[in-house]
Amino acid sequence: MIALPILLAGCGAAAPAGTVAPAGYDFPALSGRVVDAAGLLREGDRAAIAGRLAMLEQATGHQFVVVSVTGLGGHTIEDYGVTLGRTWKIGRKDINDGVMLIVAPRERKVRIEVGHGLEKALRDEEARAIIDSAILPAFRAGDYPRGIRAGVDGVIREIGSSERLAA
Amino acid sequence: MKYRAVFALTSAVALSACGLNSVPTAEENAKARWADVQNNYQRRADLIPNLVATVKAAGAQEKDILVRVTQARAAASQVKVSADDLTDPAKVAAYERAQAGVTLNLQRLQEAYPELKSQGNYTTLMSQLEGTENRITIARKDYNDAVQAYNTRIRTFPDAIGAKVFYGSKPMTPFQATTPGAETAPTVNFGNSN
Repeated sequence: MIALPILLAGCGAAAPAGTVAPAGYDFPALSGRVVDAAGLLREGDRAAIAGRLAMLEQATGHQFVVVSVTGLGGHTIEDYGVTLGRTWKIGRKDINDGVMLIVAPRERKVRIEVGHGLEKALRDEEARAIIDSAILPAFRAGDYPRGIRAGVDGVIREIGSSERLAA
Repeated sequence: MKYRAVFALTSAVALSACGLNSVPTAEENAKARWADVQNNYQRRADLIPNLVATVKAAGAQEKDILVRVTQARAAASQVKVSADDLTDPAKVAAYERAQAGVTLNLQRLQEAYPELKSQGNYTTLMSQLEGTENRITIARKDYNDAVQAYNTRIRTFPDAIGAKVFYGSKPMTPFQATTPGAETAPTVNFGNSN
């Protein structure tokens, strides 16, 4: 019976992943609904967008976070985005309905990361269309605030109405 | 032998609160992640007939590429790996080879028709394909993580005792990063994401 405490000592070693970024990823702190680590937005834009995102969550329950990062650390934006979303735990856990708009100006990448629960409301081709027709034209003109605002509008148009809730 | 049985019984009591059930739990988790992998590959397979039809309708010149994509899809659909086969590295490798064949041919198709980029239907299908490839990448990684957790658990004290005595657990097979084509999922990128 001496073995007993030793046996139990081995338990609990598999701690669940917390909100700490996994090794190799450098994430900004989740400071609010708009995390503008790359400093692309003016204070007024930031507050206005955050207000819209808060209203969206109030109306539909979907969490939508806008992120700009100073760099992707050598990861693809797809990999970076999904890892960031999981680390930050955006969206409700049971229905996985988080959305993120991620902008990486240094790598010139932008991505809309959609939780499984919203994939039917915001489809791949719809996300692509928002990026191509709303975000990129403004970014190419050097106007990040306008592109981000247009992207937020586009996403909210897809997921914001109650009849297009997560399927 | 009697000593071993007593020891196993003691272990079972000791572990029941934390460890013994964790072996089947980890196993079920890995199997569920495998189901995700298969679902996402299936999703890709479901897109292909539509994609081929769209390219044909656009007046494709290089028809043999379409034939090869269709053949690779058909071949991949023949390779089925149930959750119980995951302990067999040969079966997992065969599955992966078949899917890599689809990946490669989809890449070729995409490269063969750069002029289709701006066609609405093709763009839609390609964005769906790109999304599906991303989901496949995530599903593979999650599966590998789950397999690694399970394999570690059944080999590590104290769970290894329960795994051996009660379950006869065998390690599962992760995807190999080195499989030809496995790491080159078609980044279906038209340069419009930057």
